[in-house]
Amino acid sequence: MQQLQKRAGRKFLPEIIKNCGITVAILGAATVFCFFLQNFSPTDTHVPLLFVLAVLFISRYTDGYLYGIIASMIAVVGVNFVFTYPYFAFNFTITGYPLTFLAMLAVAVIVSTLTTQIKQQEQVRLEVEKEKMRGNLLRAVSHDIRTPLTSILGSATGILENYDALAKEEKLELTQDIVEEAQWLIRVVENLLSVTRINGDSARIKTCEEAVEEVIGGAVIKFKKRFPQVNVEVEMPRDVLLVPMDGVLIEQVLVNLMENSVLHGKTTKEIKITVSQAEGRVLFAVEDDGQGIKESILPVMFEGGLQSREGEEYDSKRNMGIGLSVCMSIVKAHKGNMKAENLDGHGARVAFWLPTEGEE
Amino acid sequence: MEIKDRILIVEDDKSIRNFIRAILEANNYDVMIANTGTEAYSLITSQCPDLVILDLGLPDMDGVKILKQVREWSGMPIIVVSARTHEKDKVEALDLGADDYITKPFGTSELLARIRTAIRHSRTTYLSPEGGLTGTFSAGGLVIDYDKHRVYVDGNDANLTQNEFKLVGLLGKYAGKVLTYDFLIKEIWGPNMENNNRILRVNMANIRRKLEKNPTQPKYIFTEMGVGYRMLDPD
Repeated sequence: MQQLQKRAGRKFLPEIIKNCGITVAILGAATVFCFFLQNFSPTDTHVPLLFVLAVLFISRYTDGYLYGIIASMIAVVGVNFVFTYPYFAFNFTITGYPLTFLAMLAVAVIVSTLTTQIKQQEQVRLEVEKEKMRGNLLRAVSHDIRTPLTSILGSATGILENYDALAKEEKLELTQDIVEEAQWLIRVVENLLSVTRINGDSARIKTCEEAVEEVIGGAVIKFKKRFPQVNVEVEMPRDVLLVPMDGVLIEQVLVNLMENSVLHGKTTKEIKITVSQAEGRVLFAVEDDGQGIKESILPVMFEGGLQSREGEEYDSKRNMGIGLSVCMSIVKAHKGNMKAENLDGHGARVAFWLPTEGEE
Repeated sequence: MEIKDRILIVEDDKSIRNFIRAILEANNYDVMIANTGTEAYSLITSQCPDLVILDLGLPDMDGVKILKQVREWSGMPIIVVSARTHEKDKVEALDLGADDYITKPFGTSELLARIRTAIRHSRTTYLSPEGGLTGTFSAGGLVIDYDKHRVYVDGNDANLTQNEFKLVGLLGKYAGKVLTYDFLIKEIWGPNMENNNRILRVNMANIRRKLEKNPTQPKYIFTEMGVGYRMLDPD
């Protein structure tokens, strides 16, 4: 709430200017049109109607009630002044004048109310959608968390309760499982944190010019810690490439993509990251030599196996949905885009681009 | 009898305290425990531990406060442990004088490595009050000759410019420790260049091209995304 007010405060002046601009422009257009029509039509009957229309438009396209009401007042007075006999003079004694005034005012208020209501409903709908997404994410996450937790709990209690009965190797193996499952949980949580960063306080990410090589370097080191056996090759322009981004988030995207290559490519031995630059964009591509992505998953994979959980792939093993949908939302928050395809031979290629020009 | 380093663990969570204590004792450290900030501060002042592992989220006060208080009179190594993952928390703690920052969850080997680095670092700075800006530093194939203002990689002069040398020199002086962007910029370009990330990024990129065989897989200078840079531990 507070945050909303703050945002409103920051945007206050430009909003007023925008709304006033719209009001003036529409009223002006109506006036010009009326003058234009005067050349063809001897009567004035169309004038009030045109201005009612103008007020309707103003109420529709400005925020709140105020501008519509002001516009209707201006219109009533202006019509009286300009278009009714005597021209360019006020005459408030015309029959039915108060009626015209009331009608215009009523139109303005009713339309403003309606449009405000529609806008509010839109807001509510967006909120509901967001909530739904959050709910889906939560469900997917609790699924992703429950499995490793079961394994951790099982392994740990197994060791505790059967300490003497278990052989040393068995205990080591169980402990190793605990470690691996915990690491999996850490990754789930890290991804969740990234999401909160995007949806966090400002709904916008804070970008800062980062050297692409640093981000990739960081991602590769993190990835290598977990998969030392996979070879990572990086190909990028020799020049220093600075791109506005949230470095931590993009690093997370790259780590996710590389980990997916290994976890879902199954036979992946080598990953190649290619960076190229073209017309205001920097393209990052992560290629692997694994099994590729199932054709059925390709079109929906970024929506995050969150809604659609068909196919054994999603249900049996941990889904890659969270990781990928997080990647997608991060890239989208940077005003970039992402796509995935299978390579001709075998393996998959997931690529995303970021704009090199920062907005504002 | 061998003299053990004494480490104070300031942590309110019992299980985390337990496991840190267990691995530290297994690795030949003397361990003291504090549950609260007040307890921690009195132990720090009375016992002067060789290193403090400080959790920022304490029941009675913010760990940052202890950090500030201790830094007023002592440079003892302090490693901050925290569940706050945002980089700005890391940067804050580091800029307030923490020697290192570990985010929960962390592995034991990582913790032990950081402890070793922090203790060793406190020792070397004690030995040379000017901060080791004379003599040489070497890590892997990298040698920084502070007297001649030269940096060598595998025996070859890297031909760094003056600012590049200052940057590498500074990172070498605090090798193993993350130096924040702001700290580096202030040290090299002065306080007026604050928030000018670009100049630092470009300089670091140039340094990387001179020192590293593969800039995307560096061996000597590592990036801690959103926080700063860290030089490889010396040999």
